[in-house]
Amino acid sequence: MDKKSRIKAGLAEALPLAVAIAAYGLSYGVLAVQANLSVAEAVAMSLLVFSGSVQMVSVAMLTAGAGLTSIFFSSLLLNLRNLLYGAALAEGLAPAKRGRWLLAFGVSDEPFVLGSARFKRHGPDPLYFGTVVVLFYAAWAFSSFLGAFAGNQLDPQKWGLDLAFPVTFTALLLPVLTEKPVIATAAAAAIIALLLEYLRPGNELTIILSGVSAPWVGLYIQRRKQSHA
Amino acid sequence: MPDVWLFIGLLAVSTYLSRIVGLEILAGRRMSPALRLYFEHVPVGIMAALIIKQIFTPADGHLSVPVLVGCLVAAVAILTTKRFLPSVLIGILAGWSVRHFYFTS
Repeated sequence: MDKKSRIKAGLAEALPLAVAIAAYGLSYGVLAVQANLSVAEAVAMSLLVFSGSVQMVSVAMLTAGAGLTSIFFSSLLLNLRNLLYGAALAEGLAPAKRGRWLLAFGVSDEPFVLGSARFKRHGPDPLYFGTVVVLFYAAWAFSSFLGAFAGNQLDPQKWGLDLAFPVTFTALLLPVLTEKPVIATAAAAAIIALLLEYLRPGNELTIILSGVSAPWVGLYIQRRKQSHA
Repeated sequence: MPDVWLFIGLLAVSTYLSRIVGLEILAGRRMSPALRLYFEHVPVGIMAALIIKQIFTPADGHLSVPVLVGCLVAAVAILTTKRFLPSVLIGILAGWSVRHFYFTS
């Protein structure tokens, strides 16, 4: 396939997701200024980190009064899955040679889904992957700026923006809960978090401890399912 | 705040490292399926914990009824409509109404 049609395929397949990413970026921007980041800091985070989950969780934890160290540890946990994505995408990006170091910046949830589907059908295609990532990057950066700019003009309490965090996370989490192991992980995390908050209200470690321990429950359920099958 | 800029820098470096390490070092190696599943489930655990933490207000650990209602309404909305932004807005509106008409906190 020639270059032009590979870029075209990338744009066409990434566009619907880019719209979803922009909606998400808009909420991130609003929430980031809520967490007392300046517009410049909020946008810089999008430009340099370029990770929805890491940025969202970071600003949520900042708002909840968590320290920077515990936020950093949570981000390390969240980033573990990038190791999987990178390993899975490596073959499809191999022809890019040194360009891989640049393309690596785009290794995350949505580009992984599109990229691995593409490589499976058409073989390695770094150009396609690059096109997808550039589109997502533009959508993410621009929408974060718009969100931060708008959020800066609003009085959070009056507009109910403090409600936006838990509500946003609910809307992000629910659609993912389709299989038993994932549901078990979420339920376990909720129970562990409730227990920790009951024992030590407002403590810093609730999120990290729940995030580290709950997936074991999901893993256990998955194992049981497989051994029954 | 110089702290915040340092923090953003650290996040940027650690996130990029997680991406390049997978791509360059783990490529072609077999990872245990259990570890794989564990990594994939971590974000769900963290998100669920965050929601719980925010339903019980961070400061005093009391249940916040407006936040709870907002989350429940958003949950129903996203499951029925599958549309992200409208669901978030409806959830916020529901929580906001509860706060203004029934509760003060």
